[in-house]
Amino acid sequence: MSEESLNVLKRAFREYYFQRDAIEIPTRIEEREFGYLPFGGFMTRHLKLKNKGELTALLVRESPRGVYASCSYYEDPSLPMTEKGWKSGDLAFDIDCDDLEMECKKDHDRWTCKGCLLVGRGIRPARCPSCANTKILTLNWSCKLCLDASKDEIIKLKEILLKDFGMTRGKISTFFSGNKGYHLTVENSEFDALDQRGRGELANYISGKGLDIAKLGLSKNADYNNMVSRLPVLGEPGWRGKIASFFDDYEFEGERDDGDIKSKIANYYGKLSPKKFGAIIDLAIRSRGAKIDSVVTIDIHRIFRLAGSLHEKTGLSKKRCDDLNSFDPTTDPVEIKDEPIKVRVSMSPPFTLRERTYGPYKSEEVILPLHAGVYLMGNNLAQAVNS
Amino acid sequence: MKLVELGTEDLARYPFLDETGEYIRGLDLSVEEITRAEYHEVLERAKSRVIDALKKGTIACEFYNREIEILSFPVALVLIKATKIEHIISRYALAEAKRVETFLLKEKRPIIPIMFERVLNIEPIKARDGFDRLHLEYKIPLVDFLKRAVQFHTTSWRLVNRVIEEGFVLVTTTELVRLLREEIYEMIRSRLKSSSVIKLDQRLRDTVDEIIRAAPPIPAKFGIFSGEYPPCVTKALELLETGQNVPHYGRFLMTAFLLHAGKSVDNIIDLYPGVPDFKERVTRYQVEHIAGLRGGRTAYSVPSCNTILSNNFCFRNHNCGTIKNPLQFRRRTKKNS
Repeated sequence: MSEESLNVLKRAFREYYFQRDAIEIPTRIEEREFGYLPFGGFMTRHLKLKNKGELTALLVRESPRGVYASCSYYEDPSLPMTEKGWKSGDLAFDIDCDDLEMECKKDHDRWTCKGCLLVGRGIRPARCPSCANTKILTLNWSCKLCLDASKDEIIKLKEILLKDFGMTRGKISTFFSGNKGYHLTVENSEFDALDQRGRGELANYISGKGLDIAKLGLSKNADYNNMVSRLPVLGEPGWRGKIASFFDDYEFEGERDDGDIKSKIANYYGKLSPKKFGAIIDLAIRSRGAKIDSVVTIDIHRIFRLAGSLHEKTGLSKKRCDDLNSFDPTTDPVEIKDEPIKVRVSMSPPFTLRERTYGPYKSEEVILPLHAGVYLMGNNLAQAVNS
Repeated sequence: MKLVELGTEDLARYPFLDETGEYIRGLDLSVEEITRAEYHEVLERAKSRVIDALKKGTIACEFYNREIEILSFPVALVLIKATKIEHIISRYALAEAKRVETFLLKEKRPIIPIMFERVLNIEPIKARDGFDRLHLEYKIPLVDFLKRAVQFHTTSWRLVNRVIEEGFVLVTTTELVRLLREEIYEMIRSRLKSSSVIKLDQRLRDTVDEIIRAAPPIPAKFGIFSGEYPPCVTKALELLETGQNVPHYGRFLMTAFLLHAGKSVDNIIDLYPGVPDFKERVTRYQVEHIAGLRGGRTAYSVPSCNTILSNNFCFRNHNCGTIKNPLQFRRRTKKNS
């Protein structure tokens, strides 16, 4: 990144952090580990901050590209990881549209071979089709479809937390991540003391990983009536009820459904090959579970982007959005001003900010509002031009 | 409040209860007195409790004299503690817990939820109607369930395969007993670990020696290896060494890693005899399968750190740095040394 671009980004971020209450001050601040990523440097971690004043001072002094705080509470967060003394931790969940295998990625994602500089559209190939190089740069973009799909996942996640895990609405905080998805944290709950393995169980439940159809009552060896009596029905709690509700909605081609759910499940289990039936269960899991990044939930030593801080790739803020229905991720987290800036864009798929769509661009100079310029420079797709 | 009045029969069956302690204190006996001729049968029963536990992994449930049965438990604890061998302590605690499980499964009275509440300090709530067809009679808080279920390795204990409703997990009575068994195992083990070794006379010391001779061989110490293993593999080895259950994924990871580190199938099987459910034939098959000598004939590679993390067997520490696979740990520590 050019010196000029770096200065523009730094200035834009600093101006934002100079505002009062730009960020949310985390609770139990002195028990958390903080970290930040400066412009033009490496990550600094294991910081202990005593109060709001110290955190604000850090942000104003450094105006970092990224600032993070642990979900975990430690005896002394400034010590090396093994000596910190883990006490407990908020539950954290991350949803990223890159994990949702969206069809639109074929249209808006790009890759560039580092060897021959060939540029391609869609999912990155394992090898460059021209020079067979395996070193390939990728640009994972997000469009409205991607962001809507992320929102659907976070809504499903919230439902599971409330209905299945019995969590209290007031303890759940939901945020737009500042880039391509959503973060959700649960603070001050009985789940705080869970270790990595307990958190892993929650993560697997949410994403349906390890669901065993034998535990739904399905068995090739059982007597038909006996098997049907153990199958799930509509309105049952947990995954049994989710599977029943999926089968209730699912229309099998050329088949009429007039029986009850239990018979429907049993009939297709008997009729279809294990592979085909397994594929339907996979669909049910995708449809009724939430696609979270399990590692984020399980890893208790991770530091998480601070609420209200700016994302280094987009300049958008990690914005609280407890009312997901009314939240617009292309408008609400735009914090950087709209004064004009001239940039040279190497390439960019179209993107929308504050209800205005920009691009596509290819090797051209354009004058954009600062927040749109920062969005492209953060993604390394543009450079500031001296005017 | 005592919901069920316990008799000496119950104290003999469930010797870990506070009432048993009170009963024994009431007798005002010292360890030295146990070696007197009139307590010969108590000492013999304590010895058989311990030796059966170590050799067979179970303790006979039949008894003809309640008092002898009750007294033999604390004497057995004294003998086990005197061995000072972690692996023996674990194996004995597991056999005692299994004995309690056998009794509980035969109980006709509603003693199971009461015992559950006494031991785990969690009240199982009667499940609402509608779950009886699945034999789910009780529900317990989700967090309490999770803290314990992570110890079990079968798919039926995985949260994703459970019926969960508004923060509660539904369980069968048999599962309450299984959770109780695990809690009792941990309780006896921690009691033994925290208690101090009592000075014994020659006769009891001879009994302790006899017990040590009867114990199955202690698994090979992982210390014989070069000590450059990543914390996940070290954890699996530590669990094996102390005779504790190693989760399925931990066994897989450790085996794949050691095979890649150049250990032979036999080297690896030699690590196992201390685990409570050791069967050489099964273990050999599993290890050979991972080595690619059986089944699909494909040698398994060592899973990545992220896969290990999502399977809940990551014990990462600062020595791991930014490695992405446990195999990189050796290279990393070699580079740094």
